Amino acid sequence: MTKQRLIILLVFIIALTAAALQFLPKTRQSAGISPPATVFTHSEETSSVEKPCSNEHPDWRPAQTIEGVDIAPALACEPDNPYEVATSVKGTNNVSMMTLMQTDLAQDALILGEDVDKDGDPDEIHIKLEVVELNGSSPDGEFLINTYPIAPGIQPGLWVYAPKSRGMALKNFNSVVAIPMLRAPSPTIRVEQGDKVFITLENTHYLPHTIHLHGVDHAFHNSKGEDNDGTEEHAVFPGKSHTYEIQPRHAGTMLYHCHVQTAQHFMMGLHGLFVVEENHPNNWVQTFNVGAGLVRHPSVGVKNTYSQEYDLVYQSIDKKLSQIIQNANDPRLVAQRMSRDYNMTESFENYFLLNGHSFPYTLRDGMITVSDNENVKLRIANVQRSPVAIHFHGHKATITAYDGMDKPEASRITRDVFDIAPAQRIDLHLSTQNNGVNSYGPGLWMFHDHVATGTTSDGMEPGGNMAILAYKQLLDEQGMPTMHDDLLNEVFSKDYYAKKQALWAQGDFKHLLGDAGLIIPPYWQIIVFGLAVGLLIGLALVFTLKRKQA
Amino acid sequence: MQNHTRPNYTMNLILIISLLLATHLANAEGHHHTGMVMDEKGMIMNANPDKLPRDCTQLSETVDITIHAGQQHATKFNGKMFAFDNQEWNVKPCAKINITFINDDQIRHQLMIHGLPGYLYPDGMFHLELNGAGKLQASLILPSQKKTYLVHCELPQHMEKGMKAQLKVDGGDGDLPSIPGISAAVNADDYPVDWTQTNLAILLLCVLAGSALPFLILKLRQP
Repeated sequence: MTKQRLIILLVFIIALTAAALQFLPKTRQSAGISPPATVFTHSEETSSVEKPCSNEHPDWRPAQTIEGVDIAPALACEPDNPYEVATSVKGTNNVSMMTLMQTDLAQDALILGEDVDKDGDPDEIHIKLEVVELNGSSPDGEFLINTYPIAPGIQPGLWVYAPKSRGMALKNFNSVVAIPMLRAPSPTIRVEQGDKVFITLENTHYLPHTIHLHGVDHAFHNSKGEDNDGTEEHAVFPGKSHTYEIQPRHAGTMLYHCHVQTAQHFMMGLHGLFVVEENHPNNWVQTFNVGAGLVRHPSVGVKNTYSQEYDLVYQSIDKKLSQIIQNANDPRLVAQRMSRDYNMTESFENYFLLNGHSFPYTLRDGMITVSDNENVKLRIANVQRSPVAIHFHGHKATITAYDGMDKPEASRITRDVFDIAPAQRIDLHLSTQNNGVNSYGPGLWMFHDHVATGTTSDGMEPGGNMAILAYKQLLDEQGMPTMHDDLLNEVFSKDYYAKKQALWAQGDFKHLLGDAGLIIPPYWQIIVFGLAVGLLIGLALVFTLKRKQA
Repeated sequence: MQNHTRPNYTMNLILIISLLLATHLANAEGHHHTGMVMDEKGMIMNANPDKLPRDCTQLSETVDITIHAGQQHATKFNGKMFAFDNQEWNVKPCAKINITFINDDQIRHQLMIHGLPGYLYPDGMFHLELNGAGKLQASLILPSQKKTYLVHCELPQHMEKGMKAQLKVDGGDGDLPSIPGISAAVNADDYPVDWTQTNLAILLLCVLAGSALPFLILKLRQP
């Protein structure tokens, strides 16, 4: 080969290499004159879209009397089971078999005893609680069991206390869905001041737990001289039971929670409101308020001042913590990963719940429904890891008690943001008098934690503890807010919270705010690149073979 | 309650319980809870001491089985928390089983058998439940089909954590998954491997031996 030829060849090879590098296909590329078309990820399929309200029990909504118990109307899409309310008032031992059959309560879940002070209501209360895992793992396949979604497609692992139940914990044998009584938050427990209350924890779970009666008047030991404070060193082990005994002398809004590995077990959901109602004659209180929310049979003391009463529990979840019970089945692995591998000082809050649900499920059972000129009592507890700043649109409410201690009337504060530290409670007097201060008039007013994370679900807005204070005239017959069809159709979708759906891809804006599609690369670039690389390989092969022959 | 073997045993029991509780079970029956007996101790659903399945002309055998349930019975298995004292029972086709169910814990446990014929057992289910420590007795009659029935406690996470067993008729039609001590899990947990120095040395030796083999063969083939 001559020198001249060799130089030409070298230049040719360099040119080919340069061309190949220049037109190397990329994973991202800037658009030319026409950017890629809009694609519509808001699928036309309906599989991920849910009906805002399934309207399973319209007969549960109206006011009714069961077993002689007056039950207030509940307008919500998912009203509390009135038979459960009646049984929670009369006790499982004082209702007919027919009523009990309409609930999931065990026959010994709530035994009401003697009227010791002869004032027309029972004063000996025996409560039995179990510990239930929701959205837990199964060794039998890649699915969660006893599922309880907090929002469309969101099923974090949770632990809750539940009234002792009976029968199937799943809707049926072919289902993995938990029965309605097994849900977050743990039920509000109501007793009367001066009642002799026996709270038995029957630990149906696979790890040790306790009940600590936070702020509730209780002796350090029970009548047997055993632990009555529910702390770490007196854990109730799996399969064991323990009875805590109290006779609270002071009324107010308190808490109960697990005090074993408290940071983790608390955040897993083992906490609830514990309300001690003032002593009054003929005061049959509703012992369990499953799922918190509207109290359908308020106490005599509350009814004297208020037309309605709501229990509001603000709860948060760290997805890293809640996934531990979903990623292992062996109790030893769960214990190790939760108590030693997991580090609470490195935790985040990802989900924010009001009464066990995140928006939009809060619309089904977390709404406050009012008429004009009502006085409503709200008991609010913050069981999150972080403080909350609860804000009501269109209203200013008045704080009547802090941590179960009444605030003297003259020094009460009326405001529109309520800061509540972890484990604190406040009682609010919400007036719906349209006077420009207490209320600005009828509406579908939002109320939510104003800390920025509080209205998101794993960062997705609107979610979290967003809920609505609704004036009744603006609700439809299923208790859902009217005039919001577009929003409801968008957010009652698993795809929305899985972040698979463009936010504002609707109407005229479909093409403008849908998802941008992929860019199509120019074909001549691909052709040039292909030719250059092909030639280089061919040359290399020819030279190798020639050398071998030589 | 324990020693009733008469055919009208269920009816008697219903009568006694109804009187005790002064309630009307007739009402309860109207609410999808047919064949249910409940008292403060627990409940029995769909017991069947006398009705033969359609495919059986007579009882083949009568078996007395005592089943304990409790946390203590899980101690013989790794990585479980609740269990029955036995994980498998074998009976002949058309057998009658008298079950004595004993709860050794202070909490609620259940004994459910699923997949039974619906015309005898509503929802295909036989169900015993004890509210706490105690004992229940009830009977059922199985059809002739060769089949493995799931026996479990349905409290959340109790089956998942070990309270799972199987009842085989005529040898059964295979094992169910994750029966403690009998069958593997479908969705098994991962555990770290114990890589000791000895284990590593063995691995290395095997790799060396394997790679030397071709050379050895070449050498042998050379004349």
